[in-house]
Amino acid sequence: MTLSLEIRDLHVNVAGKEILKGVNLQVKPGEIHALMGPNGSGKSTLSYALMGHPDYEITHGDILLDGESLLPLSTDERARRGLFLAMQYPVAVPGVTLYSFLHAATSAARGYEARSPQQQGRLNAHLIPMREFRQEVNEKLALLEMNPTFLRRYLNDGFSGGEKKRAEILQMALLQPRYAVLDETDSGLDIDALRIVSGGVNTLHRELSMGLLIITHYRRILDYIQPQVVHVFYEGRIVRSGDASLVDMLEEQGYAWVKDWES
Amino acid sequence: MNEISAIQLPLEPQSVAAVSEKFAEPAWMLAARQEAWQLYQRMPWPHAKEEAWRRTNLRRFPLDSMHLMVASEPLDEFPPCWQQLLAAENCVSGTLIHFNGLPLRATLRPGDRANGVTFGDLHQALHTHGELIRRTWMQGRTTRPDFNRFTALNAALWHGGTFLHVPRGVRVERPLQSLVTYGLNGGAALHHTLIVAEEGSHVALIQDRASLESGPAMAVEVVEIYAAAGATVRYVSLQHWGAQRYTVSVQNAELAEGANLQWVGGSLGGKMSKEFWHSALNGPQARSLMQSFTFATGDQHIDQSTYQHHRAADTHSDLLFRNVLRDRARTVFYGMIRAEREAMGMEGYQANNNLLLDDAHAHAIPGLEINCNDVMCSHSATTSRLDPQQLFYLQARGLPRPAAERLIVQGFLRPVVDQIPLAHTRRRLEDELLRRFDTDASGGAA
Repeated sequence: MTLSLEIRDLHVNVAGKEILKGVNLQVKPGEIHALMGPNGSGKSTLSYALMGHPDYEITHGDILLDGESLLPLSTDERARRGLFLAMQYPVAVPGVTLYSFLHAATSAARGYEARSPQQQGRLNAHLIPMREFRQEVNEKLALLEMNPTFLRRYLNDGFSGGEKKRAEILQMALLQPRYAVLDETDSGLDIDALRIVSGGVNTLHRELSMGLLIITHYRRILDYIQPQVVHVFYEGRIVRSGDASLVDMLEEQGYAWVKDWES
Repeated sequence: MNEISAIQLPLEPQSVAAVSEKFAEPAWMLAARQEAWQLYQRMPWPHAKEEAWRRTNLRRFPLDSMHLMVASEPLDEFPPCWQQLLAAENCVSGTLIHFNGLPLRATLRPGDRANGVTFGDLHQALHTHGELIRRTWMQGRTTRPDFNRFTALNAALWHGGTFLHVPRGVRVERPLQSLVTYGLNGGAALHHTLIVAEEGSHVALIQDRASLESGPAMAVEVVEIYAAAGATVRYVSLQHWGAQRYTVSVQNAELAEGANLQWVGGSLGGKMSKEFWHSALNGPQARSLMQSFTFATGDQHIDQSTYQHHRAADTHSDLLFRNVLRDRARTVFYGMIRAEREAMGMEGYQANNNLLLDDAHAHAIPGLEINCNDVMCSHSATTSRLDPQQLFYLQARGLPRPAAERLIVQGFLRPVVDQIPLAHTRRRLEDELLRRFDTDASGGAA
């Protein structure tokens, strides 16, 4: 068995139209890959399909996490196997505080169950004990230079663009995935926030030896989080892969230039 | 009188005198009961063509099998599980427990007592505050004995009551809690609650209802709130009735100039419930906020009629009713904002939001009747299902679908639950809401 997140000849339809047309990609633990491409090339479709969004129909190919196909698994099962998606557009859930959500999600990710007989049958038995969890949350907040009052706010409800992205990485820090896809995490972040969030991602990457796939159409974030492999994505497939020098070429020549590779 | 007597209802008009005699009531109360009994005899049950009763089938109510139990002893053991409905004494200013119509426990902090606050059994209060009670008794627009046959019945045979009086300018330190309960032999629940807040006073009351019954049972309750000028009243009305209880609850608030009412309801139990909420803004700048949450499961039916009645200038009312429905449950929301000619400068708002989890059905009928100029009014009603994007987001973070649903439902009801001024109550309601997911589809409350 190979340890990796592997995408094999993936074809995906959205509303009956083929958006992904045969994607092949392999990310190993500890590796950082960047996926760059113009708007509308299908980058977000790839991230949603990986996570099993019901609107994205996989018509051909496979997704393997450490050799196991994810296709038969539900979205939450994929997450509990260690796949994380930092979303481009995090969804607001009014009435649910960030803290209670983090507590529930982290407990679920760690397969938390009642540990002592007294806890069994209690409603909160499926949750990490409050004090233990609170301490861990505080550490991660510090890593991302976030104010603890943030925890009392409703999940993504009224968050600024930058706050949403920080909250996504805070979740990643607690869920400790083995593979993470960061879908345009840089958009909406100002320079200072980008530096802090990137620093957090680098720390987590180092500590957890995560495999990372950074989806972006700007090079900005790649100045802070340095990829070993860069893939250029165009019209539903990867048209070229190379080392970090590809980023410079794209920056100089724009995406129009990739059309020439097609012919 | 020491013997246990069960009074059968409605077959015996002499029940009226018997109840009154048992509590050695003043003559005016006996007269009021007898007059109400005449009304009860004369009036028909509400007709299915009346707007308020179009969507709740009274024929399913066990009206013929109603009987009232009046006894000197509680008749049943008080179930210890109901103790957990109560917050610890040090969190509240006082506690009042009724069981099968009898007061089991009544406490009030010495400081509040010294300020002249009265919180206790209504039967006993007739002896200490008779004149005050007489002045206000069943004067509200919907709590008059002739409002419908149910208020006539309660007026004639009410048994067990909560009385709260706060003198002028007095602020009750902490919330008060009242628990109204019925055991297997409790019979029909004809509780009567009377809250009188004098000028400039402040008080919060949290009232819970619970019951155990072996077969179909009735509750016909009346709640009267009178807030004098500048008084602030917070009233929380929660029901966790047993699964076979059919209820009619008529609650009415009369607000004088500058009075402020914050009213929260939570309906979780019972088989079929018909609730009337009426807020009369009688004096300029009176304010009322009415909020309610329900979580209906199985084949439960909860029908709520609300009325925001603006009768003076610059009055302000707001309303938020949120329902979650599972299985084959049904809810009805019929809400009216009415502004009289005198109500220039009034503001009235109303929102009803329903969240459907299964094949349940939510009716929403909002309405406006405006008879003056210079008003601000809005009403809205929405019915939706769980949002697939929210579900995906939560599942993408490892929460299984049922856990994701629970979080969304808790979040949906939180704006209302968070209005309750006692942490203990908020926490146990969160737990109770979670348990609503575990009840099987055939039954009502767990």
